[in-house]
Amino acid sequence: MRHAPDGTLRRLEDEPLAVPDAVADHVAGCRRCGERRRRLDADTAMASRLASGPRLVPDIDAAWERLRRAIDGRPEDAPAGSPPVAVVVPGRTRRVVRWSWRTGVLAGAGALVLAGAGTAAALSNVFAPDRVAPVAVTPGDLGTVAQLMDVDGGHVPGGFPTPDGSRTVPFGTITWSSTSAARTYDSAAAASAAAGIPVRLASHLPPGVGAPTGFLVQPRVSATVTFGAGAGDLAGRSVVLGVGPGVLAEYGATDQGAGLPTLGVLTMARPTASSADTTLARIEAFLLSRPDVPPQLAEEVRLLGDLRTVLPVPTPTGTEARSVSVGGDQGVLVADASGAASGVIWEDRGGLLHVVAGIVDAQEVLGVADQIG
Amino acid sequence: MHAPSGEGAPWPARESSPTPFEHFFREHYAAVVRLAASVVGDSHAAQDVAQEVFLAAHRRFGGRPDAAAGWVRVASVHTALNMVRGQRRRHRRHLLVGAAPHAPSPEEAVIDREAHAEVRRALAALPTRSATVLVLRYGGESYHDIAVAIGVDVGQVGTMLRRAESALCKEMERAPRT
Repeated sequence: MRHAPDGTLRRLEDEPLAVPDAVADHVAGCRRCGERRRRLDADTAMASRLASGPRLVPDIDAAWERLRRAIDGRPEDAPAGSPPVAVVVPGRTRRVVRWSWRTGVLAGAGALVLAGAGTAAALSNVFAPDRVAPVAVTPGDLGTVAQLMDVDGGHVPGGFPTPDGSRTVPFGTITWSSTSAARTYDSAAAASAAAGIPVRLASHLPPGVGAPTGFLVQPRVSATVTFGAGAGDLAGRSVVLGVGPGVLAEYGATDQGAGLPTLGVLTMARPTASSADTTLARIEAFLLSRPDVPPQLAEEVRLLGDLRTVLPVPTPTGTEARSVSVGGDQGVLVADASGAASGVIWEDRGGLLHVVAGIVDAQEVLGVADQIG
Repeated sequence: MHAPSGEGAPWPARESSPTPFEHFFREHYAAVVRLAASVVGDSHAAQDVAQEVFLAAHRRFGGRPDAAAGWVRVASVHTALNMVRGQRRRHRRHLLVGAAPHAPSPEEAVIDREAHAEVRRALAALPTRSATVLVLRYGGESYHDIAVAIGVDVGQVGTMLRRAESALCKEMERAPRT
């Protein structure tokens, strides 16, 4: 039988009846689990000082009367010098989005569409970002982008289906193509060879993060956007978007009972866009003026400045984003306000985009990123 | 249970059956105060925290507080942590003056107070999420209730608790003793 993970050993101390008998029996007879349990006990004894204070017995009647006064708008006179107490409201529960190529491509493609295409030079790269910048988005914004790109719903969980064929979107058509289907490999080396890009992983992982469970390789995906009659001056013009190839390393938990991925490390070639017959300014003006693009999102994108070299990083409402340095490269750290999850994205000087994200706090995610960057 | 009544009372005499919110308040107030006290180490400050948390809960949940038990606990810990972090540079207040179930000797009281103050200082230095899990667990909440309160799978609580305890011990070893 497998050794019990730390989380289960910990629960065995507090709620032994909640741990399956087979696990408890194993721990009782396993020397290695026994040693780990003793180490854990030392920390528990230290932390138990938290419960060592006198047990307060508050006067509930008096407290209720005080609250009633406040509810009725007749608060008591505060003692001189008594500072006001600001309630810190718990953050709403946010599910950690399972990393998938659909998520990545959606964000990347959405960013590309929003960023548009650039110069009038014939088939030149008009979008080849060398830095990243946060853009505040809401779930509604992402839904809008998904609808614009027709990449919402009906896809394979955990991976982006090999896009193929043409789809009609509100402003024209998108023709998807890719060289082959996504595939999972057992080792980073095999995945790196298949994708044709170097993959670096961290050797020291945060507590609770287990071994990699797989390496998903997504070949390069291209999408040709041809603007239709409803696109005004852009009608008949096109832009070619490219995302990948990339490798997603997904990590499990040391506590197998958790059953959730704890960390994802994505390495991929930076997304690009090229066009033979239109400009960045024209595409940007068209897209951001569309009635189905929320005005706030449009304003956020405009504030980015020169879109030809900036990759917008969607930062959902309620998260905190700040600029960080990873291995000397500028990146964006996005953290859940509760500290439960965080991620960092940066582009290195070799043109590779890196994302490290998971159920870890900001310091831990930066610790992993620094080993890669 | 005392209810003000008669002329001059600040509000009408309470009806025989309490409102859902009063019932909720009476059921959870003591737990919320104790959680705050384990962070701030001061009974008066803890009751100030609880007062504001329940006031916010009343605005937020109104007459339907049934689902707010976890919310008020987490709000209490977060608010208390915020208070301690704000006060830390201004002054220290380590005296816990609430009623105790037994009267320790003066020597025991001093040792307990210092030990408790030290762990509270380390607690305030942890990420809020870790500190919250610790306070909830050592405040007597079950793994299930902690999972519900902070919105995670119950299978994650043991891991989070283990990591938080480890971080707390490192913080206590790292920083100078108080």
